Amino acid sequence: MAKRLKAAERKASILAVAKLLFADKGFHGVAVDEIAKRLGVSPAVLYQHFPSKEALYEAALTEISEKRESYIEAVLTEPSDFATVLKRMSRIYVESVSRDPDYLRMELMSALEGSQAATRFFDHRWRALTDYIEYSLDELKNEGRLSRINPKMASLMYQGMIREVLYETCVLNDPRFHNMPLHTIVDELVQLFLKAISYE
Amino acid sequence: MTDYNQELDARGLNCPLPILRAKKSISQLASGEVLRIVATDPGSVKDFESFCSQTGHELLDSTEADGTFVFAIKKQ
Repeated sequence: MAKRLKAAERKASILAVAKLLFADKGFHGVAVDEIAKRLGVSPAVLYQHFPSKEALYEAALTEISEKRESYIEAVLTEPSDFATVLKRMSRIYVESVSRDPDYLRMELMSALEGSQAATRFFDHRWRALTDYIEYSLDELKNEGRLSRINPKMASLMYQGMIREVLYETCVLNDPRFHNMPLHTIVDELVQLFLKAISYE
Repeated sequence: MTDYNQELDARGLNCPLPILRAKKSISQLASGEVLRIVATDPGSVKDFESFCSQTGHELLDSTEADGTFVFAIKKQ
């Protein structure tokens, strides 16, 4: 018999298992019975905490999409030039996602399913990075240190680059990168990005 | 309302941009002067608390009304 848990602990454990299964199979690929079976409880226990499968899926999406990385230290530590801060922020983001790669799967699932959550993933997880790039490049342009750069396109390029790193290493587990620490890959790609926008 | 020496409009900006701009603005103030910041990112409440605890500046005020967050920070 499953160990009796307090309501909050039970809810958290349901959410953790649901997240794992939804990330693996998507909303339609997972039945409530399967989640209950994995937890060793009856489906009725699940319904005590979440009124429907949709509510459980929404809760799992919310938990993942609304997590925020903290970049306070990245911007307060000196030196705080654009390249150094971008490298620090990228490392923080990539390391945070690599600890919880279900995030990537859920983000992709929500986009494919046309869920509103896809926007939340961008707003809460990506926007810090893309806005930082756009804002900083605009500033550098105004100071005359960069020319002929469209900051919005540059941030899109950067986002695509980082997203691909995460897919290759955390989801696809591509053997081409097995011997490279994640932060090394990120640092090298940030260097390439800086070269591409002619940042010195 | 707390008196202030300079105001920073960080509405529409997401973390870490309000912090970055506050850092820049506060560097132009003299010790004891106050920076007022207006922001819309809900995460800015926690961010400015961390900002002050890490930099030693004093968070004099932190209020919210209709989705707008107002902070008053006294330079160390």
